[in-house]
Amino acid sequence: MPKHPSSGKYAIVGLGVVAGAQPDRSERMIAAEAARLAIEDAGLTRKDITGAVDLRRSGGGGDRASYSDAFTRVLGLNNNYYYINGRGGALAGLGMATAMSFIDRGISDYVCLMGAVTDWSQAQESKKKGYRGMAHSEKRGYWGKFVGDSVAVSHHSWMAARHMAVYGTTSEQLGAIAVSQRQWANLNPEAKMYGRPMTIEDHQNSPLLAEPYHILDMSLVSDGAVAFILTTAERAKDLKSKAVYVLGQGFGEVSSTVWWDKKNFTHMAVEPAKKQAFGQAGIELKDIDCVQFYDCFTAEVLFQIEDYGFCKKGEGGAFVAAGNMAPGGTIPINTSGGLLSCYHLGDLTGLAESVRQVRGQAGQRQIKDCEIVMTTGHGGELVSPGMCSIHTCTILGSQP
Amino acid sequence: MSQSNVITITAEWKKPRPSIDHDNVEFWDGLKEHKFLIWKCKTCGTSYWPKAYCQNHDNEPFAANMDWVPAKGTGKIFAFNIHHTAFNPGFKEELPYYYALIELDEGPLVSSTLIGDKRPKNIYDIGQKVEVVYEDHPNEGFTIPKFRIID
Repeated sequence: MPKHPSSGKYAIVGLGVVAGAQPDRSERMIAAEAARLAIEDAGLTRKDITGAVDLRRSGGGGDRASYSDAFTRVLGLNNNYYYINGRGGALAGLGMATAMSFIDRGISDYVCLMGAVTDWSQAQESKKKGYRGMAHSEKRGYWGKFVGDSVAVSHHSWMAARHMAVYGTTSEQLGAIAVSQRQWANLNPEAKMYGRPMTIEDHQNSPLLAEPYHILDMSLVSDGAVAFILTTAERAKDLKSKAVYVLGQGFGEVSSTVWWDKKNFTHMAVEPAKKQAFGQAGIELKDIDCVQFYDCFTAEVLFQIEDYGFCKKGEGGAFVAAGNMAPGGTIPINTSGGLLSCYHLGDLTGLAESVRQVRGQAGQRQIKDCEIVMTTGHGGELVSPGMCSIHTCTILGSQP
Repeated sequence: MSQSNVITITAEWKKPRPSIDHDNVEFWDGLKEHKFLIWKCKTCGTSYWPKAYCQNHDNEPFAANMDWVPAKGTGKIFAFNIHHTAFNPGFKEELPYYYALIELDEGPLVSSTLIGDKRPKNIYDIGQKVEVVYEDHPNEGFTIPKFRIID
């Protein structure tokens, strides 16, 4: 298939990761540190970075969009612009799409994109006050906290429940996703759950938080930061690290087509995003060597496996139970352990892993001859009664 | 209806308060009068909840071609979950609670908790007919809609 002229024109040339609990550090410090690591990894200096993007889940949380703690000041970047970009877990995809326009017009040679969270540390503080997790008060326009709506936990467990009721999917099959990702995490020393194997029995015996979801169906609450440097393919040639080329990007919103017909409870907005991203890259599903699906909860992985066409709709349960996404399976999915078993930094978790896989830096979990990888993002404001609207798809490759 | 569909609670409210704003104040006022209002298109009759522009054709400014009208107050369970943990301590005494997506007879989905004696057998057991129950909180100045299985 012919490629779009933009395919392979931009590349990621540096990666910085700060992983693990950071109870004694501020968000801006871990943010700045990840950015410093990314710049160093690219073989660049701070003065080379002329643009900065702070990747935040501003849509869902609301409170994260506006307060002032630009990591660029802390680090001392010479950036001409700094902005906040992101929506729920769709951070890296949106940030890259916007940053590329600055590069394209010659405004920036190198852009540093960074996302940081201290959710785990904040949850520890919250726990002391008798709350669990990220308890917020009801936001304007939202619905349901007054009857015990727990936002993502409530809404995503409905989606799993609906898929189970419509297609006969079982909790054990969802557990197979968690177990597969745990197997990957056990090949990744950076993963929170490294060295902690898990079985389907462990999944089934773990506490039910919002049935059908056990705690082991849910993503981690993490501290950490991921930053990466984006530039042109031309400049990437002269740098010390192996360039990872952006081959295509696509976006979809469930609100555009499947909101009123209620399909969004068993589907993601994959169709338009896949068409755009695959079309730009000139690839088909079979060309993809490994996938980092957004996995806030187990069923989101299941939906995407089906929606991208790795199996038919409704057959995802059997597909994952047969070990297809696990190490040694037919399509490696969430090879770092993902949000479920590595760490939760939105779609930056998947993006960091994709970069490493293409560079051949994934250690024991390295996919052989890994040339084309797919990373997805998902998220957005939960419009009552429950919807994470956006789906993003980013195709990266080893060749432009 | 065989049972009363109104419950009055005077105990102090220790949970998050509902977000009542310009878009939904009429809906919340309707609940106090024990009406479940939905947002209906005067042109094609399609119903929405929450408030939206009609998706089927052009609209007048600010969706002025639409209006709040009482729904039947019945529907069926589209999906539900069972919360076994209280992320907000105000819900500890209700655990485990069934939090359901209800497909109203008019079409829209709305979520609330199930009350009454009947509960789905398991997570696959959906489609039961439900009716709205109005939980009045006179000291707080609002009414919360909940649902009860009726078949």
